[in-house]
Amino acid sequence: MSDLMAHPYHQYHPQQPQQRQFNPYTENGGTILAIAGADFSVIAGDTRQSEGYSIQTRYAPKVFKLTDKAVLAVNGFAADGNMFVKKVKQRLEWYRHAHSKDMPLRAIARMIQTMLYAQRFFPYYVYNILGGIEEDGTGAVYSFDPVGSYEREACRAAGAASALVQPFLDNQIYFKNQTPALGSAHPTHLPLRHVVELVIDSFTGATERHIEVGDSLEMYIVLARGRSLQGLEGLKDVRELSTPGSNGERLFVLRKPLKRD
Amino acid sequence: MQINGGSVIAMVGKNCVAIASDLRLGNQALTVATNFEKVFPVTDRIYLGMAGLATDVLTLRERFRFRVNMYTIKEEREIEPETFAHLVSSTLYERRFGPYFIEPIIAGITSPAKGSKPFIAGADLIGCLNFAKDFVVVGTASDELFGIAEGLWEPDLEPEDLFETISQTFLNAVDRDAFSGWGAIVHIITPEKVITRKLQARMD
Amino acid sequence: MECQVALTGKGYVLVAADTVAARSIVKMKHDEDKIKVLGSHLLMSYSGEPGDTVQFAEYIERNLRLHQIRYLQPLRPSPAAAWIRRQLADSLRSRSPYSVNLLVGGYDIATSEPHLYWVDYLGTLAHVPYAAQGYGSYFVLSLLDRYHNPEATLEEGIETLKRCIAEMEKRLIVGLGKFKVKIVDKDGAREIEL
Repeated sequence: MSDLMAHPYHQYHPQQPQQRQFNPYTENGGTILAIAGADFSVIAGDTRQSEGYSIQTRYAPKVFKLTDKAVLAVNGFAADGNMFVKKVKQRLEWYRHAHSKDMPLRAIARMIQTMLYAQRFFPYYVYNILGGIEEDGTGAVYSFDPVGSYEREACRAAGAASALVQPFLDNQIYFKNQTPALGSAHPTHLPLRHVVELVIDSFTGATERHIEVGDSLEMYIVLARGRSLQGLEGLKDVRELSTPGSNGERLFVLRKPLKRD
Repeated sequence: MQINGGSVIAMVGKNCVAIASDLRLGNQALTVATNFEKVFPVTDRIYLGMAGLATDVLTLRERFRFRVNMYTIKEEREIEPETFAHLVSSTLYERRFGPYFIEPIIAGITSPAKGSKPFIAGADLIGCLNFAKDFVVVGTASDELFGIAEGLWEPDLEPEDLFETISQTFLNAVDRDAFSGWGAIVHIITPEKVITRKLQARMD
Repeated sequence: MECQVALTGKGYVLVAADTVAARSIVKMKHDEDKIKVLGSHLLMSYSGEPGDTVQFAEYIERNLRLHQIRYLQPLRPSPAAAWIRRQLADSLRSRSPYSVNLLVGGYDIATSEPHLYWVDYLGTLAHVPYAAQGYGSYFVLSLLDRYHNPEATLEEGIETLKRCIAEMEKRLIVGLGKFKVKIVDKDGAREIEL
């Protein structure tokens, strides 16, 4: 006690309980986008991965081929995203071994919902968009929130620049705030070439105005069984991932540089 | 900035400019009025738009009217858009450490003596000017406006095409923002005249 | 739990305010008049911080009266509302701001039009066909969205106002007791019984 009294009070620091915290989440930027056509589906994402103002890498894929007809885009916390894709792929492999066929798209969608909701109280910090071809041959897009709420839609943008891209899609895909000419109607599905152009415009726009978007664009294009290449011919930077000549769904990837600043 | 909500945008066209605002006035999530315009004429060919705290929008409208009137009397001529932009900037910077919570947008056409050129500018709440060549946006739907404007805008639009572009940009952006919307007002400014139109929008 | 409602109709503005003066959980008074008559054709209901409200309302009242004495005519509703707004806006950035929310209703004898303004303590001013302040606004505004008619006769307007008051009585956890209702039309401002 006398020892304490010897010091002026402001030099006296009693032992106080200290708190430390570990934050298990971070945001890694980037944006993903998917659009469904009548007999195709386009799933795209940029490849920049960042944390705060630092770019970790200019090429970190966010879009992954799951099966011949299903592609998954994952955006948010990259570590969670990669782990989630890994687990989805594992479940799909088990399915293949058990049933000797690929899991149908709608089943993958429901599986993703249960996998996400299983982590309801320590969620994967990711937004998922699943695109591909349904069993009836139609193009489909399923979008998910981090805990598994999901919905089939014609188009969806998610991630850092979702607020920039989604209104553009509302306008150009759903024709929101547009009235068709008298006696005509807006198309329910757009041609592939048109969709590809819209995706490219969306990403160049987002790159221009959002610092976390850029470097390069990776776009997967899934064509339904028996569909012609209509719309893909003449497109630069497109590579086929499926075996040419096989009569199943065909998968293409288009890689395009975006601004790097 | 999110107490009252609201958004404004301005765009450049070929020998014309356009400026638009929404009509919502809210108190947090509650919509109080749906006739609250945020764009005001400064001269016959300069318009000022403000998004942010509504009380400051009104106060600054009054202050700018006063300062522009004083300028007109002292200089015996109408103020140029660029001069007015600097007047806005210095008025806001006066309150550097206790700012008005608004972000302004200026859209206008320079006087015939200066070539009747289109002019737009934006600024932050303390008056840091941004002389954009294409478009400027402010308000609660600014992210949405940036994204869609980047997709729809192109250089050298004629007045009617510019009207369509700014209207589509604005409506689709505010429809994705809960704090903006409930109708919009658009002004197209050309050297000869100003065309003002009200737009019907979603009411949710 | 203070509540005020106002609406315009064909040639009139109706303003209603509760009459409770409360402190904490205690109702101190059941006949408090929270609607000031600011001139021959101008009404203002006020709510907010106790003390600020009456002080501010009387300040407004006396200054508008002074204006009328000086210039031999009262301010019309629109400039009156603009001036009141300015007082609140200036007060907001002063050392001790008033926290008072208002509804200003007036009848413009020059144009024969009723006017209603919604004003909050920040100095936000909105020209509206109907308005409410306080928790009651969350119920009442949706009712008015449905039932308000700018062309309504006084009887119809009172009917709508009664609906609003009944809804507040029904849905708010604390009953507000009697409402005081005042009207302003071509014949001037006065109190009415519902």
